[in-house]
Amino acid sequence: MRDKFLLAYRSIRERRTRSILTVLGIAVGIAAIVSLMSVGYGLEEAIGGELTGFADLISVVPGKISGATYVELGGFTDRDVKDLQRIGGIKDIVPMALAAAEVEYRDERIPIFIFGGDSKELGDFYVEPVGLKEGRWLRDNDYKACVIGDRVANELFDEVIHVNDKLLINDEKFIVIGVFEKASTLYSADVDPNIFLTLRAAKDALQTDEIQYILIRVYNIDEAEAIAEEIQDAINDNHGVDDFATAITMGSALEQIGTVFDIVRGVLVGIAAIALVVASIGIMNTMLMSVMERTHEIGVMKAIGAKSSDVLSLFLLESGMVSLLGGLVGCGSGVIVAKVISLAASTALGIEMIAVVKPAVLLGGMAVAMVVGVLSGFYPARKASQMSPVEAVRYE
Amino acid sequence: MIHTEDLTKVYRMGDVEVYALRDVNLAIQDGEFIAIKGPSGSGKSTLLNMIGCLDTPTSGSIFIDNIDVATLNENELAEIRREKIGFIFQQFNLVHTLNAVENVALPLFFSGVKRETRLKRAEEQLVKVGLGDRIYHKPSELSGGQQQRVAIARALANDPEVVIGDEPTGNVDTATGNAIMDILEGLNKEGRTVIVVTHDAEIAARAGRTKRMRDGKLLDEQ
Repeated sequence: MRDKFLLAYRSIRERRTRSILTVLGIAVGIAAIVSLMSVGYGLEEAIGGELTGFADLISVVPGKISGATYVELGGFTDRDVKDLQRIGGIKDIVPMALAAAEVEYRDERIPIFIFGGDSKELGDFYVEPVGLKEGRWLRDNDYKACVIGDRVANELFDEVIHVNDKLLINDEKFIVIGVFEKASTLYSADVDPNIFLTLRAAKDALQTDEIQYILIRVYNIDEAEAIAEEIQDAINDNHGVDDFATAITMGSALEQIGTVFDIVRGVLVGIAAIALVVASIGIMNTMLMSVMERTHEIGVMKAIGAKSSDVLSLFLLESGMVSLLGGLVGCGSGVIVAKVISLAASTALGIEMIAVVKPAVLLGGMAVAMVVGVLSGFYPARKASQMSPVEAVRYE
Repeated sequence: MIHTEDLTKVYRMGDVEVYALRDVNLAIQDGEFIAIKGPSGSGKSTLLNMIGCLDTPTSGSIFIDNIDVATLNENELAEIRREKIGFIFQQFNLVHTLNAVENVALPLFFSGVKRETRLKRAEEQLVKVGLGDRIYHKPSELSGGQQQRVAIARALANDPEVVIGDEPTGNVDTATGNAIMDILEGLNKEGRTVIVVTHDAEIAARAGRTKRMRDGKLLDEQ
């Protein structure tokens, strides 16, 4: 057996350039699979990891979510909030008022989303992860004060807004007491384009008593699903509508994200599979050319006593070795590419992301390389083994 | 002993049937040195390929040691080629990726002989044909005559009873050709059956017996 390896190795080395190109062909396919899968897992872990920090949260919205559509059915009342306080297992209830309002700064009027809530809870939520660039966060007794997101401060208006500047929100005067840093991708939509007020100030400014969003924190994550059911039932009872409220636990959100990532991974693997098909055509081509080129040699081998199975195994071994090498190179470069991509993505998206290289992915990559190599080597090898010795010897 | 009975080989070229061999009856005794002479296209190489088990007849039979080789399957034919017959080609037909000693050892490789034994035996054969100082040379580093001697050493690797040469001197100069014929004569003296195909009368004259062929038919003995 060792000798067959040696013989196959000689013939690979003899056709060095072409062998290297074939190895590269397979390597690219395998590297694509390994790197895309690893980046996919890394992304999932990065986003999942940030979200697991919120695993004890339940968001309650007044409306019905089915698939990608959300139909808002009004707002929650103070009575809803009071009823929720009677449900066991709930640690905090953070009712929020949110709606768009006309905001004026130095004679420019722009509609901006207003976020009103318990100052302490909102602060825990956003100030800690995002950070303030200027000023301070809201306190309970701040009434005509607001904290603004980075886009509000720097982009929406012609002139940059700083602490102590004054804004008109629905024609009421507010003083800017804090400006957020630019938020990472995860928080960007929540913070950057918005203005934050205390709940009381927001209700006044938006001229509403309704609450559009309730954030619940539970003691025990395992009870979250059951509590979410109770919350929905309690609020639905108050409003006499079956699907008035939707309570989403972070757990179920995580599950949904998992499903999305399965799809993303599927697409990535599909792309990589195309690369592999191309690579396998490459191997087949190389091996067929090798068979053609060596027709004469095959004839000679048969003339001096090689069996068809000897020739078959020699050629299969050759394509097997090429694909093994391709698999190794592919796995190695796939890991490197995955690290580079995740580094670049971390910088670009502003989230901490590390490519997750699973041993199963590497093993799978090697297995795919071998299967592809041997399968695409089989036809040429069989062709070689079935040649008539006399015709093969005569072939020049 | 090798003998053929009404050996016929027909090639089909489109609608035309070409008789490469027509009812050839030939008996070759063990230990004989026979030359088959004839112009190109006379069918002598086809006959040699049949005897060498490289090709199968359209009709008729070839018996090698009373085995009808036409009835054998691929693997059995390969075994006869490997164990009983040493084939020498006009074009030498060495494997150019392997050096001299590896080329000679190749038939032993297919016989399943261990590497050390194989290379030792191959080296002995190379010494025997006078190439003891060239055993690690690649075919491209050897002259035509040297390559043919490597090919002879390869043909002898499995210690065959029959050595077959298809124009073994066709690609070398006269002096080298004579040297190669010396080696073949020596093999015959060792008791091996030697069958040579040639169109060179001088070469043919060195054989114990000469047969002539024309148009696929064996002519009467002279």
